[in-house]
Amino acid sequence: MMTDILVLFIGASLLLYVLLGGSDYGAGILELLPAGRLREKQKHVINDAMGPVWEANHMWLILVVVILFMGFPTIFTTLMISLHIPMLALLAGIVVRGTAFTFRHYDAVQEPKSQRVYTVLFSGSSLWTALWLGIIVASLNRGIIDPRSRDVWTAYVAPWWGLYPLAVGVFVACIFAFLACIYLVDETTDAELARRFRRRAAAFNCAVIVAGGLVFAASLGERESLPVTFFKNPWTLGVMGVATLLFVALWLFVTRHRVWLTRVVAAGQVSLILLGWWLLYAPNALLTATGPLGFYEQAAPEATLRQLVIALVVGSFFIFPSLIFLLRVFKLKRAGG
Amino acid sequence: MNDLIAARATMGFSLGFHIIFAAIGMTMPFFMSAAHYLYLKRGDEVYLELTKMWVKGVAILFAVGAVSGTVLSFELGLLWPGFMQHAGPIIGMPFSWEGTAFFIEAVAIGLFLYGRKRMKPWVHWWTGVAVGVSGFASGIFVVAANSWMNTPAGFDWVDGAARNIDPVAAMWNRAWLHESLHMQLGALQAVGFAVGGIHAVLYLKGRAPDLNLKALKIALTFGAAAAILQPFAGHFAGQRVAELQPAKLAAMEGHFETGRRAPLYIGGIPDVETRTMKGGIPLPGLLSFVAHDDFDAEVTGLDKFPREDWPPVVIVHVAFQVMVGIGTVMAAVGALFFWFWRKGAFPRWFLGVLGASMPLGMLAIEAGWVVTEVGRQPWIVYGIVRTRDAVTPVPGMVYHFYLFLVLYLALAAATVWLMGRQIMKVQTRLSGGAQ
Repeated sequence: MMTDILVLFIGASLLLYVLLGGSDYGAGILELLPAGRLREKQKHVINDAMGPVWEANHMWLILVVVILFMGFPTIFTTLMISLHIPMLALLAGIVVRGTAFTFRHYDAVQEPKSQRVYTVLFSGSSLWTALWLGIIVASLNRGIIDPRSRDVWTAYVAPWWGLYPLAVGVFVACIFAFLACIYLVDETTDAELARRFRRRAAAFNCAVIVAGGLVFAASLGERESLPVTFFKNPWTLGVMGVATLLFVALWLFVTRHRVWLTRVVAAGQVSLILLGWWLLYAPNALLTATGPLGFYEQAAPEATLRQLVIALVVGSFFIFPSLIFLLRVFKLKRAGG
Repeated sequence: MNDLIAARATMGFSLGFHIIFAAIGMTMPFFMSAAHYLYLKRGDEVYLELTKMWVKGVAILFAVGAVSGTVLSFELGLLWPGFMQHAGPIIGMPFSWEGTAFFIEAVAIGLFLYGRKRMKPWVHWWTGVAVGVSGFASGIFVVAANSWMNTPAGFDWVDGAARNIDPVAAMWNRAWLHESLHMQLGALQAVGFAVGGIHAVLYLKGRAPDLNLKALKIALTFGAAAAILQPFAGHFAGQRVAELQPAKLAAMEGHFETGRRAPLYIGGIPDVETRTMKGGIPLPGLLSFVAHDDFDAEVTGLDKFPREDWPPVVIVHVAFQVMVGIGTVMAAVGALFFWFWRKGAFPRWFLGVLGASMPLGMLAIEAGWVVTEVGRQPWIVYGIVRTRDAVTPVPGMVYHFYLFLVLYLALAAATVWLMGRQIMKVQTRLSGGAQ
């Protein structure tokens, strides 16, 4: 019962991290693309859209980490040992991304040279972090993580090395950029820039599909390829199918300028992709060389789980209303007006 | 550098870095709220100007604090999986409350920084207070988790594993109160003196005197009050350490031989080989009195512990002396601050003293954390798990160390540079406007 609730919280936090935090990385990735004379305008739109919310959006990741180390310590420590190197890369990216973004906005002297440096650091690290996030996610269920090994290659490099994790990284980066385009369309009053975001949303929409194909192709070299796993799991197949069909609805809404419907459908698609992935592997958190590490088998003692659930549930009563207030103040008013 | 030393250096460095920004993040919101309150009540534009100025600084410092805190939450597992494996389920509770508090802080700071024109003035003011309250709470929770490492509670240790876990008892362990009190006062004191010191220097330079005087009064009201209270909190903490971690206290005081009428040394370097103090002024019986309220009380020395269980005595003793020395000076400066304020004017020499005191509190915080962390060695969980048994099996930790050393040094340099630009820009504009 307690484990059920915690697994739900982990799933929900991951989802919200992707939907909210992911689009912040996506915004950074967008700034890597050529922008011509709209560059300055795009920068200001992204500054205003991300500024008030990025720190709250980032908290969902911390929440996952805290739930893991308190409720599922073996899963947490296995991850941190076997995926030490990608975790380090992820952290370096998180540090550079957050500070470069804030420095860019709050530097008292706004001059082109330093602004360029901040932008390069912010956008470069956004892509970098998204890639590593995907690489880490892909590494969870490859069956290569080997907790017994102390050989440098087998224990610390092989678990995340290869085409398949890289393909998942690219896929994640494309999803983030796609979400950012969709969310940003209505953050600007400039018609030309809005058109550009719409066009880029279409481009990244295609990129998501292509990258998804890459993931499938790359998985053929894995111990168990995705096509095989997929057809064993009709639920995942169905969910992914619905996600793909929703593209029709999405573009109907985009062309008709239905702001919130567009956002909701895009977020729904990404949620379905995540759900499909979750259904493939849950309730196993990791598949290691010595077998699966499941949430239910690896849960901490009941007394711990109960306190964690209390903290999360009580915390939710504070966090969700304040988050809704935050979104109301900064997002609803603009989109409505 | 072997892997254990590299891991310890990484942890120490990351903590020492983060703690500065954490201290700022949990106290500056109170200073800002005070300035903002005075603006809303009195309508004096200078206070609005001051609030805006502080807000810009806090936005930068808060971001650095948030990302370096993220690093720490991962590093618990990246560096010390052998610790988290046991400790996660026991002390996860303060961390989960800390997560909640910090989440609210992150939401509130977004509202406060960007929402001035989007909310009613008093609603906006309350979001600032919420940043401070949730930040302060998250500080207390994190220190509660640390205090458990000093006074582990809430479990039975059977055959190298924790049984009968009680997370509530673990959180309210015997060290949480004195550690939290000491730390939170320390944060107020350090940030109050740092901010007050900056404004004192600017005042002396003749820039925007009205604004800088108002700013230093707000910052030092918090800072000086905390500095005056801190010796009492510190004394309370010392007595608890004497009772709960006698080896740490002995290292702090360079006290080798157990005995009555134990002397308190001012200065001096402990010589571990000969087990004596070199130099320093001994005050007979004072250590007994400070530790146990009785000049004749027996104070446990390092001789009661096997040599391998001693913390690095010299480091702990020197760091402790630095902290206490600074604390004493700051309490005196704090008292003078209120004295001169009552008299109606701050002499220029005293503003100079305030300027010179700018970094003192942060130094004391760093020294204090060296005392508590190095003083707990060789244990990661006092008396239960040794640090060397908790370190990650991942090889090449020295590269992990260098990576974060370079990253954080660059970040520190960038932050200082940005703060300088910020201060110069605002002060130049204000001085230009006033003249």
